[in-house]
Amino acid sequence: MKKIVEIALGIVTSVGGFLEIGSITTAAQAGADFTFQLIWAILLGGLCIIFLVEQAGRFSAVSGRTIPDAIRERFGFNYFAFLYIVLALVSLLVLAAEIGGVCIALELATGIYFQWWTVPAALVIWLLIWKGTFGVIEKGISVLGLVTLCFVVGAVIINPPWSHVLRGALPALPHTNPVHYWFIVVSILGATISPYLYFFYSSGAIEDEWNEGHVGVNRIIATGGMTFGSVISIGVLILAAMIFAPQGVKIEHYTQLPQLLVPVFGYWGYWLLVASVGIACLGAALEITLEIAYFTAQGFGWNWSENQRPKDEARFAAAYTLTIIIAALVTITGIDPLKITIFSMALTAATLPVSIVPFLFLMNDYSYVRVYRNGWFSNAVVIAIISIAFVLALVSIPLQIFGGS
Amino acid sequence: MDLIRDCLDKKIDDRFKRRMGRVDGIVLEVEPGRPPRVAYVEIGVKTLMNRLSRRLGTAIAHLLESRHIESAPYRIPWGKIKVGVNEVRADVEAEKTPALEWELWLRKKVIGRIPGA
Repeated sequence: MKKIVEIALGIVTSVGGFLEIGSITTAAQAGADFTFQLIWAILLGGLCIIFLVEQAGRFSAVSGRTIPDAIRERFGFNYFAFLYIVLALVSLLVLAAEIGGVCIALELATGIYFQWWTVPAALVIWLLIWKGTFGVIEKGISVLGLVTLCFVVGAVIINPPWSHVLRGALPALPHTNPVHYWFIVVSILGATISPYLYFFYSSGAIEDEWNEGHVGVNRIIATGGMTFGSVISIGVLILAAMIFAPQGVKIEHYTQLPQLLVPVFGYWGYWLLVASVGIACLGAALEITLEIAYFTAQGFGWNWSENQRPKDEARFAAAYTLTIIIAALVTITGIDPLKITIFSMALTAATLPVSIVPFLFLMNDYSYVRVYRNGWFSNAVVIAIISIAFVLALVSIPLQIFGGS
Repeated sequence: MDLIRDCLDKKIDDRFKRRMGRVDGIVLEVEPGRPPRVAYVEIGVKTLMNRLSRRLGTAIAHLLESRHIESAPYRIPWGKIKVGVNEVRADVEAEKTPALEWELWLRKKVIGRIPGA
C-alpha cells in the first residue's frame, strides 16, 4: 500500500514539474496555428523526457549521487563550469518566464498589471522555499497542480474529431508556413525536454532518500508522470485547435488564454485557467529555483537539502535567494512574459546537447550504477535523443529568428 | 591510484563526515633526482579559476585581495587524505579550517540574521 501511495504521489509530482508556462503556451500555439498536426511533437518530447527522467532517477537511486555531482566528478571542472553557465543562464530566463506566468495569472484574477505582482510573487516563492520542506514543495504544490486536469476534461467535452487527433500523432510535413511549423516543433521539444526537469528529479531522488529498492518505482513514476503531463499538454493543444484555429486566432498575448476554457466551462472556465496557469507556474518556479541552487551546491561540493534549516546550509540558501532576485529583476522590467517564454524555450532546445551527452557516459559507468547500467536499447534511445538534441541546437536559433513571429 | 580519476573533483569530507567541498586541485612536489610526490590537495576558488584560465585565476585573486579577502586555496597535506570509492576523507575538522569560511560568514552575517533561518 505504501508503495502504491508513493507511486501515485510520485506521478502527480512529476506532472507538477512537467506542466509549466512553456508547455501550456507552446501547445496552445501549436493548436491555434496548426490544429492537430503537432501532437506528434508533444509525444516525441514526452518519450524523450521519460527516458531521461527514468535514467536520472535510476542513477541517483543506485549511486546516491545526483547527475550534476557525477558530471563534475567524471568530466572535470571545466566541462561542469561550461554546463553550469549555460544552464544557469537558460534556467534563469525560464524562471523569469514562470514568475511572469504567476504574475499573469494574478493579473487575470485581479486586473492589476502583471509587473506589480513581480515582487509579491517572488516573495511567496522565496518564503515557500525558505520555510517549506522538500515534501511540502514537491507534493503540496504538485497536488494543487491537479487542477490542470481541466484541460483534459475540456478536451474530452469539446469532442474533437478523434480521427484527426490520432492522425496528428504521426509526424507529418506542414501544409503551410513550414518555418513557423518547425519553430513550434522546436519550442515544444524545448519546453518538454527541460534540463531542469531531469536534474531536479535526480536531486529529488536524493532528498527522498531513494536507494536500489526504488529502481522499479522510479520507472513507473517517470513513465506515468511524464505520460500524464504529455496528455495534459495534448489537452491544451486540442482545445486551442478546436477554439482558436477555426477563428484564425493567433496567440500573441496571455490574456487570450482564458478563451481556451471559457467556451467549455463558461464562467468557471476563466477561473480554472487562472488557477491552472498560476499553480503550474508557481510549481515550476519553485522547482527551477531549487534546481539552480542544487546544481550550484552540488557542483561546488556544498551541503544542500531543502529539508535543512537555511542557516545550516547558508551558501545553498544564499544561492536560491540570489536566483529568485535575479529572475524577478528580469520579470520586473516588464518584458512580455510570452516573449520570454518563447525565447527561453528555443534557447533551451539550443543548449540540450551539453546536458544530455553526459547521460551516455554516466549511465554506463559501473562505478556509479553497477548492474543497473543502461542496456543496448536504453543506450540506443539516448543516442537518438542526443541526435535530436544536436539537430535542435543547430536549428533553434535560426528558426527563432525566421519563424518566431 | 589514478589521481585524476579517483581524487580530483571528488567530494571531500572531514573526519566527522562534515562536507568540506570538493578536491579542486592536487599539488605535486618535484625534487631533483626523485620521483614527483603528491604533497597536498587544494580547496579554493583560485585553484578552480586557474583550471579554467591562469589569467582568470589571477584576476579573481586580485579582486579578492583588493577586498582584503584571503585568496590562497586551503591546502590539506596528503598524509591526512584517505581516498575511497568516489569519496575523499580528510583527517581534519572542517569548521576549524578555511574551507568553510564562506559558509560560516554567510551564516553569521547574512542568512542567520533573516527571520526563520
